[in-house]
Amino acid sequence: MDQLKMIGRELAMGSQGGFGQSKEFLDLIKSIGETRSKAEEDRIVLREIETLKTRLGNPNTPKFKLKEYLVRLLYVEMLGHDASFGYIYAVKMTHDENLLFKRTGYLAVTLFLNEDHDLIILIVNTIQKDLRSDNYLVVCAALNAACRLINEETIPAVLPQVVELLGHHKEAVRKKAVMALYRFHQRAPGSVSHLVSNFRKRLCDNDPGVMGATLCPLFDLITIDVNSYKDLVISFVNILKQVAERRLPRSYDYRHMPAPFIQIKLLKILGLLGNGDKKASEHMYTIVGDIMRKFDSTSNIGNAVLYECICCVSSIHPNPKLLETAADAISKFLKSDSHNLRYLGIDALGRLTKINPEIAEQHQLAVIDCLEDLDDTLKRKTFELLYKMTKSSNVEVIVNCMVDYMININDNHFKTEIASRCVELAEQFAPSNQWFIQTMNKVFEHAGDLVNAKVAHNLMRLIAEGFGEDDNIVDSQLRSSAVESYTRIIGEPILPSAFLQVICWVLGEYGTADGKYSASYISGKLCDVAEALSTDEIVKAYAVTALGKIYSFEIAAGRKVNLLPECESLIEELLASHSTDLQQRAYELRALIGLDAHVVANLMPMDASCEDIEIDKGLSFLDGYIQQAIENGAQPYVSESERLGMSNISNFKSQEQHEFLTHSLRFEAYELPKPSMTPQVPPVLASPTELFPVSVPYYHTEVNYSTTPVPSISSAGSSELQLRLDGVQKKWGHPSYFSPTSSTLNSDAAKIQNGSTKPDSVGSANSEARHVSYDSRKPQVEISPEKQKLAASLFGGASKSDRRQSSSSQKVPKNNSHAAYKSHVEKTATSDTGAQKTSQPPSDLLDLGETTGTSILPSLDPFKQLEGVLDQTQDPTSLNTGGFSGTDAPDIMSLYVDTSLRDQGNSTANLLSTVNDSSSLLSGFSDATNRTGHGGNTVAQLTQKLSEGPNHKDSLEKDATVRQMGVTPSGQNPNLFKDLLG
Amino acid sequence: MIRGVIVMNDRGKPRLVKFYEFQPAEKQQELIRSIYRVLCSRAENVSNFVKVDSLFGPDVRLVYKTYATLYFVFIFDSSENELAMLDLMQVFVEALDKCFSNVCEIDVVFNFNKVHTILDEFILGGQVLETNSSEVVKTVEEISKFFLPPQLCVCLISFRYSYGYDLLFYAGSRGLQIQSWAVHQFLAGSGDSIFIALVTSFITILC
Repeated sequence: MDQLKMIGRELAMGSQGGFGQSKEFLDLIKSIGETRSKAEEDRIVLREIETLKTRLGNPNTPKFKLKEYLVRLLYVEMLGHDASFGYIYAVKMTHDENLLFKRTGYLAVTLFLNEDHDLIILIVNTIQKDLRSDNYLVVCAALNAACRLINEETIPAVLPQVVELLGHHKEAVRKKAVMALYRFHQRAPGSVSHLVSNFRKRLCDNDPGVMGATLCPLFDLITIDVNSYKDLVISFVNILKQVAERRLPRSYDYRHMPAPFIQIKLLKILGLLGNGDKKASEHMYTIVGDIMRKFDSTSNIGNAVLYECICCVSSIHPNPKLLETAADAISKFLKSDSHNLRYLGIDALGRLTKINPEIAEQHQLAVIDCLEDLDDTLKRKTFELLYKMTKSSNVEVIVNCMVDYMININDNHFKTEIASRCVELAEQFAPSNQWFIQTMNKVFEHAGDLVNAKVAHNLMRLIAEGFGEDDNIVDSQLRSSAVESYTRIIGEPILPSAFLQVICWVLGEYGTADGKYSASYISGKLCDVAEALSTDEIVKAYAVTALGKIYSFEIAAGRKVNLLPECESLIEELLASHSTDLQQRAYELRALIGLDAHVVANLMPMDASCEDIEIDKGLSFLDGYIQQAIENGAQPYVSESERLGMSNISNFKSQEQHEFLTHSLRFEAYELPKPSMTPQVPPVLASPTELFPVSVPYYHTEVNYSTTPVPSISSAGSSELQLRLDGVQKKWGHPSYFSPTSSTLNSDAAKIQNGSTKPDSVGSANSEARHVSYDSRKPQVEISPEKQKLAASLFGGASKSDRRQSSSSQKVPKNNSHAAYKSHVEKTATSDTGAQKTSQPPSDLLDLGETTGTSILPSLDPFKQLEGVLDQTQDPTSLNTGGFSGTDAPDIMSLYVDTSLRDQGNSTANLLSTVNDSSSLLSGFSDATNRTGHGGNTVAQLTQKLSEGPNHKDSLEKDATVRQMGVTPSGQNPNLFKDLLG
Repeated sequence: MIRGVIVMNDRGKPRLVKFYEFQPAEKQQELIRSIYRVLCSRAENVSNFVKVDSLFGPDVRLVYKTYATLYFVFIFDSSENELAMLDLMQVFVEALDKCFSNVCEIDVVFNFNKVHTILDEFILGGQVLETNSSEVVKTVEEISKFFLPPQLCVCLISFRYSYGYDLLFYAGSRGLQIQSWAVHQFLAGSGDSIFIALVTSFITILC
């Protein structure tokens, strides 16, 4: 009795739930909760670990105690301490017969171990055994563990049982078996690929819960491969319809919504299936429209379903009617006070603007509000939206907003993202060079080290090439404005390295080009940079090369060069640098200054960074010499392949191609390592004295050579940075990998494109951007407050609305609530800018106006006619313009549905009979891929059913027949779901 | 798919951590800390969503909500709906509330294997399995039955009568039903002999 008393007391003091923990655990939690420092907590936990170690190791510990210790061990590990010594006890506990202990054991192993842990092999057997258990709770526990722990190797061990469990009589087990199978599929698609059809089968499970669980794997499978599941579109639509019509048991309702989670999953799936597929999408229009109309805006989950509908609508083949409803829903979201809904609204707006860019304009103020909101998430989402809707007309405002925001945030990840987006937008839509350079300066100044190095190179290239036009004046303006801004910025104390690289390069290339700045001024600046950043070798290298360019331009121009004293000292310092790269550059710079004007002009031509280097690969200039030698009795050259008897490979060129095409085994020696600094460091200048043997061809007059200071792995650059390996390479290597010196081939002269040549697409995009004029944006400063101004510049809304006004003079002014602002602007705009309007060419205005008027509903002619009928019966003043209003929509829709129903009135009778006698139509569907012949028929029948629409009379009739058959619609009836689907 | 569920208190102490893709212990701690930092920096009355692509990879978000002193956090990717996740969290908390009648932080910590059981009923392998809190409570109670067989209840009641220990809360929400049944049994029996038998079974079950 005493012992009993003790146990009782211990239990009484501890737990509150049914899972019995002791007072010790409570004390532990309390003491950890009361700690003031991390060190104190660590001390307590370490003491606890010691206790657990001794107690777990004690073979006499009773099981229920062992269980508690495991829980405590889990707790300790959750706090971040190592508990690996106890893993084995967790594994042991899974072997226990008692469910209580078994579950605890499984819980512990699922939390402790990853699927590749060595101990897993000890659990597989237990899981196998438990999957065969009579007690379904044990089976569930085993399935839980299987989901987490079974890896690719052990899948075959449990797979047969899991598949068997798909037909278990308990729906909870079936659900979990589906999930386990799905997990196996995720982990090792190959090992269960033959079982994927099981998911289709489970879709017509009697229990809606199992069906709902099956949607998860199907969603993933459809994401991977849409086309093989197109046949399920109608089944999904049917299920969704039944769910939406509350045919599921009451227990699936949540907040008065019929099974909203299942609806959401189905809508997601439909969105995937209907994407870009007109035929599939047509099946969905009715039901999605129905759901959107019936939605319940008061509950969270109702809005979730609505949001999912919008996503679905924006994903499937566009339907004007649905898009319009979606736009209405979005405006509701955006007007809401809840940040969550506004977030979703912005997100949905981003989706819809892809289809119809006009929609965003209706919500300009709401978007601006979100941009100024305190909520960071909302802000980011809004920036995402702005990024999506950037056009040449609003790029300045948007990019400025983004840059301002970027400056103020600390999160590097997001800063990088925004910076690269700014760069992208600026490159794509830049209205002027000036603006472009300024924007880039700002971006680089604040996020220079975060953006991709490629971006910096792009910028250099852009400055060198201009925007791809042949207009040299514009290009040189761009350059001089860049130089000007850089000479100003270079004085700033802290600049990111990437930005300094750009600055050095630009100053070196174009610093003295327009004659505004003297060479000594620029070189002074460059020396300052090189000295200020004693640790950054890359920037130093850029600066030295830039100095070299400045001086060689001076020499080429025939001016006397006086090295600045600080420049002298810089060179001196670098000659002794630890970096061989810097050293070489310094020597080259030295040598360059000593050369005469003609040589320097050839070495360092002005503004030739983007010219292609032509390399005479065939070395045709040697032909005469060879001819002479042969005439003098020399042996003609026999190519290597001929010497080796490899007749199938006629020359090295084809060998090279051959190798590119077939990635077969390569038997030749390893490739030479690429010089690691080439991507970042501009290539070293070729200096004749030091690198004589390698750079022979460059010296020859027939080779059109120009240096490429743009950092890229150009052939010239890499060859110069390499060791001289001519001899070696003749034995093993690929001759064509090396510098042209060694290529003694007789292949045709090939033109090696410099790495810095521009991609065409960018160039053309830029040229487009430059055509953009400012005319489309008209400031509305005097009439609007600050916000409206921003909105107008963002969306071009104000200017657009006055255009619309002028074109649609016969239309009644809008007076529905969400257009209130717009109409206000319209009125003021018409009164204020009337003079301007008349001065513009009228044809232009009409064109623009018409596009805005019709593009919202491009293909709605039948509806428009209906509207006309409706309009006449009502008071014209209370009408909204066009057919865009939400109030008219249901009427028209129902009319439409009615007519379509009347057409198919005959078929309904047949359908009723099919409902009665077909046992499982849906399972027929799931097999439709196998039995295509039958599939055709069923599809036809079901399409008819689909077009029934929300006709209550029909559904009541159907219900009645079902009841006559002795079936009451409830969750308990196993056949119900089949009937509903069939 | 759902990447993880975290419950932590307002001082950043984890109370329940479950990742559906295995994360090594150090990584878990780091993630918890970073998430806590993010949540702390959020103002009041803002949205419940945070983009956490810097922690978890592209397009991963989290939904959080505070209940009393606890942050509930669901981390998931683009295949889930944000608002629906918020509701799922609500359902989860409802289920906790039903199981612990007026759940508070200490319940979650102290019974965290039970909390795990509840969570496992909702989410399995990162997918939502069940969305009805009463269904989940039913299942959990069924499991609890194994944790607390009827005889045990009777023993507890006997303890109460004989020794004055109130152990009834062991029975959880099923307590009342079992109580009436057990009291019946107890009163119908002939005092000591049954009591001794019950105590014996109590010990066998527990040990």
